[in-house]
Amino acid sequence: MNDFILSGLIFSPLLAALVLLLIPNRLQQPIRVVALSGTVVQLILAILLYFRFDGAAFANGHTGYQFVEKLNWIGFSLGSLGRLQIDYFVGVDGISIGLVLLTGIIGVIGVISSWTITKTVKGYFLLYLLLMTSVMGCFLALDFFLFYLFFEFMLLPMYFLIGIWGGPKREYAAIKFFIYTLVGSLFILVVMIGLYTSVIDPVATAAYLELLPNGVASQEAVLQVQQMLQQNVISGSELVRTFNIPAMMEPANYIPGSLLHVLSGSVLWDLPLRFIAFLLLFAGFAIKVPSVPVHTWLPDAHVEAPTPISVLLAAILLKVGGYGLIRIVYPIFPDAGAYFSILVGGLGVLSIIYGALCALAMNDLKKLIAYSSVSHMGFVLLGLASLTVEGVNGAVYMMFSHGIISAMLFLVVGVIYDRSHNRMILNFRGLASRMPAYTSFVVIAFFASLGLPGFSGFISELMVLLGGFSAPDVTGMLPRWMTVVAVVGLLLSAAYYLWALQRMFFGKYWIFPELREKANIADLTTREYLMLVPLAILTLLFGIFPHLLLDKMGVAVTGFTELVLQNGQEQLNMVLSTIIR
Amino acid sequence: MAGTPETTTALVVLLLPLLGFAVLYLFGKRIPRQGDWLGISFTGLAFILSVWLFAQTWNTATYHTRTTWFSIPSSIVSDFTAGILLDNLTVLMLVIVTFISMLVQLFSIGYMHGDKGYYRYFAYLGLFTFSMLGIVLVDNLLLLFMFWELVGFSSYLLIGFWYHKPAAIAANKKAFLVNRVGDIGLLLGLFAFYTYFRTFDLEALRALISTGNWTGNGFALGYTLNNQPWLLELSPVFLTFAGLGLFMGCVGKSAQFPLQVWLPDAMQGPTPVSSLIHAATMVAAGVYLVARCYAFFTPDALTVIAIVGAITALIGALAALKQYDIKAVLAFSTISQLGYMVMGMGTGAYDASLFHLTTHAFFKAALFLNAGIIIHAMHRGLHHMHHLGNVDAQDIRNMGGLRKTMPVTFYTYLVAAAALAGIPLTSGFLSKDAILSVAWAWAQTMSANGNSLYFIVPVIGFVVVVLTAYYMTRHMWFMFFGSFRTPFDVHQIRLSHKQETERVMLLPVILLAILSLGIFFSLNPLSFSGSWVVSGISLKNYSITLLADNLVQAVRLQDDANHWPHIVIGILSALLAATGIAIALIKYNRRTSEELLQERPTGAFAKLSYNHFYLDQLYNYTLVKPTLLLSRGLYRVDKRVIDYTLNYGSKWLVVFSKIIGWFDRLVVDGTVWLIGALAKFLGRFGRGLQNGKVQSYYAYSLFGFILIILYIVLF
Repeated sequence: MNDFILSGLIFSPLLAALVLLLIPNRLQQPIRVVALSGTVVQLILAILLYFRFDGAAFANGHTGYQFVEKLNWIGFSLGSLGRLQIDYFVGVDGISIGLVLLTGIIGVIGVISSWTITKTVKGYFLLYLLLMTSVMGCFLALDFFLFYLFFEFMLLPMYFLIGIWGGPKREYAAIKFFIYTLVGSLFILVVMIGLYTSVIDPVATAAYLELLPNGVASQEAVLQVQQMLQQNVISGSELVRTFNIPAMMEPANYIPGSLLHVLSGSVLWDLPLRFIAFLLLFAGFAIKVPSVPVHTWLPDAHVEAPTPISVLLAAILLKVGGYGLIRIVYPIFPDAGAYFSILVGGLGVLSIIYGALCALAMNDLKKLIAYSSVSHMGFVLLGLASLTVEGVNGAVYMMFSHGIISAMLFLVVGVIYDRSHNRMILNFRGLASRMPAYTSFVVIAFFASLGLPGFSGFISELMVLLGGFSAPDVTGMLPRWMTVVAVVGLLLSAAYYLWALQRMFFGKYWIFPELREKANIADLTTREYLMLVPLAILTLLFGIFPHLLLDKMGVAVTGFTELVLQNGQEQLNMVLSTIIR
Repeated sequence: MAGTPETTTALVVLLLPLLGFAVLYLFGKRIPRQGDWLGISFTGLAFILSVWLFAQTWNTATYHTRTTWFSIPSSIVSDFTAGILLDNLTVLMLVIVTFISMLVQLFSIGYMHGDKGYYRYFAYLGLFTFSMLGIVLVDNLLLLFMFWELVGFSSYLLIGFWYHKPAAIAANKKAFLVNRVGDIGLLLGLFAFYTYFRTFDLEALRALISTGNWTGNGFALGYTLNNQPWLLELSPVFLTFAGLGLFMGCVGKSAQFPLQVWLPDAMQGPTPVSSLIHAATMVAAGVYLVARCYAFFTPDALTVIAIVGAITALIGALAALKQYDIKAVLAFSTISQLGYMVMGMGTGAYDASLFHLTTHAFFKAALFLNAGIIIHAMHRGLHHMHHLGNVDAQDIRNMGGLRKTMPVTFYTYLVAAAALAGIPLTSGFLSKDAILSVAWAWAQTMSANGNSLYFIVPVIGFVVVVLTAYYMTRHMWFMFFGSFRTPFDVHQIRLSHKQETERVMLLPVILLAILSLGIFFSLNPLSFSGSWVVSGISLKNYSITLLADNLVQAVRLQDDANHWPHIVIGILSALLAATGIAIALIKYNRRTSEELLQERPTGAFAKLSYNHFYLDQLYNYTLVKPTLLLSRGLYRVDKRVIDYTLNYGSKWLVVFSKIIGWFDRLVVDGTVWLIGALAKFLGRFGRGLQNGKVQSYYAYSLFGFILIILYIVLF
């Protein structure tokens, strides 16, 4: 049964963008409505997908993908090097389902938040819709090439959205963002090509070798091809090379003697090449996460971006980094993942503490929240590095939960910025007495973010820390002190949020004299309620009933974790054995 | 899933205040009287149901209903459950919490009358009651932690209720953060137990502890999870640290040394809030936590707990000696009494400690509500006197002689203060006596090997009895005796000629004061041994094995053997209390009004006590400021190191690319140009030869011919 729901998800904003092209620039309201309907369609499809997705379906490694669409996209012969094959290969599993839903939700919220944009509305929403297509594509792609395409394509609309509609230093921020991410994606590109030279698609190769009796892929044929491959009996010209991510996850699909084969013994700078590849990929995605010390693009980009773009950036674009780690880096290089767990976990802890301390030093509310994102995304790295089921589930949950909460946080900053064109904490005092409803939402957002039980942030932090703490005993990853240090992050996050609340929202009402004439300090408008209320309800919902998401993702994430851990240990021993020899 | 009628009722009790919160917070403004009656009737209903639950459960049965909350499908993770556990301790706490919450809300009708955030206040109280009931009812440590945090959150809201007061919003931040320090320990403690036992469920954990036993190297036990056997041997050091982690939670919430600094500041909240949260219930949650987790503490952990409790009791009492704020005295006395409870827990006086928790809840709530009446009355008086803007309504130096003006308040205060000081016939006497007796037995047991240092703990307990009696007498002397010291007619602080204050405020106070009498807790009001509370919550009722079983059993045996010491301790503590009262009276009854009004902390000790041993300043300079400095420093690293490097790197990149551009222009392009130029030159040269003269051609060919000959000859 296949109804192309995933393609619908990816391309519905693009379709809206095409419609948008036909509307003249001066008809602002229709443009907004079209953009809204594009994202609403995406959201409806995402909700449908969420309900139709079967959380219990998972057998091993890569058969848990559902709603798979696979089309031969680019394929030609490379002569003696075999065949090149790039597929339009999309699917959804427990790891991506939450992020797909999140993207749908945030997409709509972002459009509502963009309603007040008046500068070249058409161009703005065109880029916005392009961005939504590429982000959704990223979360659904199962072909590395396709993933990379969407991954790179996100840069373009983002660059212009920050660079044209941003604040005073927008050009610097946009370029910084662009170059940072581009450098990261170059690392990814290098590894992608390396993988491509090493991996074959067993099904396609079987078809090519005419091992499939009636053209139907069977498990036996795949095993046969893999055996033949490892015994080196298939000639080079008959190999179908692929960017298929699930194929890359199986060591049996690697061509013997190729650069990234587990037993290749290839070494660079005294490290196995597989480890180098892991580090390059990790660096590429760590920039996107972002992890300290490659995080400095984030505060600038956030501060300069207009509110809706900050929301998108924090809520979904950052998740592509974490998602890439979980979808690509760890399952393809589980050996290096196990070997470098201290590095990844250490960077996670560093991000948690460093980000939180930087947030404590901030006087700009938006920058404070940007640094809090750095701090919270550190939990994703920590949970992942623990390789425990609790930790990885927590990491995935954190990505979803942080998406909802950070969207709320940036919207909340946008509210005060809209009214006063300023967001320095020290310029305001006692906003609660003028804007009580607004302050309620600020309190909800802040406490949700600092991990108050009842909000989704708590569940994710709890599980990550639980996984991290038990990792030394259960999986042998991560020293215990790391988690103990990470827990201090909870205290620091409470400190910067409460301090900001104290300075900005409570006390006697006062605002900086120069702002007084321009500022129009009024409470929330209907449009703002429309954005904040759903997000507040969602974070409560997923905080009180975590099974809503865990039941969908749990089986896949757990199976995935156990597979990575198991393969990781086995392959690590093999890799190290070749080197010692 | 389907619960018993009892647990379902308990769930209703839990959710009623939450419903109250939701309704009042969202629609409170539009409901008549801003919905105070709604909040009170919800809590009242919860109280009635709690009483029914008490009747069903007390000494008769235990009810436990559990359901899966969420699960992670994995062979090494058990389901995360949620459930309600009703036993004697639970229903006792249930009744206390709902009863005091109801009375406090009733009181607040008068106290908060006319406040701008009236509905918000009742909403927050509902949220608090919900969270507190959650702590009491839940059956596992994870949920307990969640409600624990929610209690912290509602306390944050209530301390900062008057958010326009800078002191209030500084205090609520401090309370939340200091509590979070404790919570971090609690969380790590939970993780430590979870890592090895794979469950948070209290009953399951207790059952696991009972299956294990101490071996030479540690505590060994085995169990199966999803058909997989788990064999553990945990070192005593690990278990001690895990237990102390749990205890950290108590240190934060129950304001134990060294985290007690938040409680005095928390008095910035409305006084009924102080009564409910920062005296009667929330701060007792830490003690409740220790009681719930009693099986998980090793003997070493218990020793640390006892010592921390003793230190807290002493420090709190010493700090209370020189306070002038009516609520500060009570706040420090709360710290001190919580120290007693924790000390009791540490010394194996599990039931005595919980008994003290119960009695303290009533008499401390009475004291705080009374303080509220007085503050309210002072404000009323000051309201008439506009020119006295800077008189502090909470400073006991400005009071005096209120005994005659507010007799009901005086007598209720007297009863409650007597209970606090531990005067015979009051409830406080019974429970304090119980703790001291067991503490003595504990010291005897612990020092059996000759180390009599352990006696310091009970001795501190006795010293604190004297101090408590002293500061409460001083406190009452300042407020109720002598003559009124603020320059306006003392009668103006009365509500009317006939009534000293609103009836709705007096009723709760009278009820609570009556319940501070010993007779309600023990038929023999001079001895705690017959107390129904103690026998109801005694560990003997549970078939629980403790990690510190040997110690607790030994202490109990020793305590049972102590016939004479019991009598001596009882008489001694009564005498000590009398001594404290006598010292205070001797010191103060000669003082004139002027002397009392002008009293200041002068001596070194007085300043230490008044400033709470400068702990705030200490933490500020050693922890807060360095953290802020560090955070600014790290941000500079971001700007000055990382970004600087990047920006500089990019500048050098531009320079490098300029060099490349130069190279490209001069060297690469230059080479191409050179080749072209050479070709051009050669072309010109060649063209020059083609001049059309036969003689020239002949000369060239001759020249060529000579060259060829030369080549042949030479090579």
